[in-house]
Amino acid sequence: MTSAKTGRLILEIVMIILSLLFLYPLILAIINSFKSFSEVMSDVIAMPQQFNFDNYAYVWKYINYPRLFINNTIITLIGLIGIILFSSVAAYKLSRTQSKWSNMIYLLCIIPMLIPFQSIMLTVLQLAKNLHLSDSTWGLGILYWGFGAPLAVFIYHGFVKGIPREIDESATIDGASGFKLFFLVIFPLLQSVTTTIIIIDVMWIWNDFLLPLLMVNGSPATKTLTLAAYTFVGQYTSDWQYAMTAMVMAVMPSIIVFVLLQKYIVRGVVAGAVKG
Amino acid sequence: MKMGRKWSDRLQFGIFTLPVLICIAVAFYIPFVMTVRYSLTKWNGIAKHPKFVGLDNFHQIFTGDANFSSAAWFTIKYMVLYIVLVNVLAIVLALILDMKLRSTTWLRAAFFVPYILSLVIVGFIWKFIFMQGFESLGATTGWGIFAMSWLGEPGLAFISILGVSIWQSVGFYMVIYIAGLQAVPEDLKEAATVDGAGAFRKFFSITLPLLAPSITISVFMALTNSIKVFDVILSLTGGGPGGTTYSVAYDIYRDTFQNNLYGYGTAKALVLFIAVLVITFIQLGIFKRREVEA
Repeated sequence: MTSAKTGRLILEIVMIILSLLFLYPLILAIINSFKSFSEVMSDVIAMPQQFNFDNYAYVWKYINYPRLFINNTIITLIGLIGIILFSSVAAYKLSRTQSKWSNMIYLLCIIPMLIPFQSIMLTVLQLAKNLHLSDSTWGLGILYWGFGAPLAVFIYHGFVKGIPREIDESATIDGASGFKLFFLVIFPLLQSVTTTIIIIDVMWIWNDFLLPLLMVNGSPATKTLTLAAYTFVGQYTSDWQYAMTAMVMAVMPSIIVFVLLQKYIVRGVVAGAVKG
Repeated sequence: MKMGRKWSDRLQFGIFTLPVLICIAVAFYIPFVMTVRYSLTKWNGIAKHPKFVGLDNFHQIFTGDANFSSAAWFTIKYMVLYIVLVNVLAIVLALILDMKLRSTTWLRAAFFVPYILSLVIVGFIWKFIFMQGFESLGATTGWGIFAMSWLGEPGLAFISILGVSIWQSVGFYMVIYIAGLQAVPEDLKEAATVDGAGAFRKFFSITLPLLAPSITISVFMALTNSIKVFDVILSLTGGGPGGTTYSVAYDIYRDTFQNNLYGYGTAKALVLFIAVLVITFIQLGIFKRREVEA
């Protein structure tokens, strides 16, 4: 009994050390964001002589951090709202209707999950230009509707099956139908799936790189956080203290949100992955 | 009356499903049709009209393109190793973190954190570690492993890319496996213990077969993600040293946007699409069948 207990304790200690080693690259990045250029160059693993925020002040101004943050928020919000709104109504209707048409449309909705983005990136860019969606945060947000819809339709479709049809019927008898039935009765019942989709899509849209690179890289006013960090490092490859600061500033929002919502995020990812 | 009802039903069906269909068509189907059309042309993006060349692009891809074949080889090697390693590591982690350790919550969070970070940024952070951090670590510890040129030598650069990708995503697969393990009934494991099965026997005869659905999902996701590997290479090695770490996705990006070979690049993109399609169907077919047996 005691030997099993000590074994467990040893395992626990080993795992804690392992997890700290695992996070060490991130810790190093944070440490070095507080150092001056000469400190970074002389010793990367040493602690900074003093924690000053000079690098942060410099990068904050240079990349116009508030602007980027707002851009990211606009893109993510527009993307999310459209994905959830359009996918949930469509998935609900498709799941409730039994016909050749609805099966075919459902397939059309989910097949794109298999198309790699690189296979269509050039033509998406051209189409977006023709539709006047490029070089704007709004336009990028709108484009995410289509890119996010297949998975969202798939997840909602599976979930609606679990909601008894009697609910629709009794609501119809009470006089609700169409959009009223959906938004007042069904949509609230979909809350847990909606949370899952919000989590998956926020993580994806907030961090996405290639689509923003192609769509909104033209002007500093439309850049996203990741994009700005990418171009910033391109210009400052030898000034690692600034580069690391920009990295830390780009990932900080994700880390803060994760720490606050950890439980929901992990649960949401599992739900999405298992359904997907 | 009945006729009217039917039409209003149809109208409602249209109103509910049309928006999403339009969005998906704009994001996927229209671009896809355009891709198929461009893949049959020679076009630099500047000339007014793409020049129709039939299947010439495809002929060139498979016979006279050293870049494509080396990128394809890189991607295949990466894909196979990534799928195997990330899944094995994730299962091991999940098994340990499924035991009721006191620090389980912290440990799960710690291993998951890199997954919430953008891959481009993860690549840059690791570039910093490989280029600057390893120097200091080597000086402090005196270990030769830190003195090696992890981004400067082709073989090592490959390992670095693979390692960094695994580091970023292993927590995600771990979470899927933990969820799978929690669905394995306790009494089955207990019964096996009573019957005298050791830890290994229990794992291979009970836990692993019951994990089959999680394995199918994880392998599927690892497959679709690894075949498109791009971001991490862009920021970590930029394709170097000497162009040895170009993946297919990166090769397509380079041909299209850096060399302005619009027609040729889209032809490669179409080849990638077909490869993804075939490999995915084979994988799902094999794993689903195994699942039924289990």
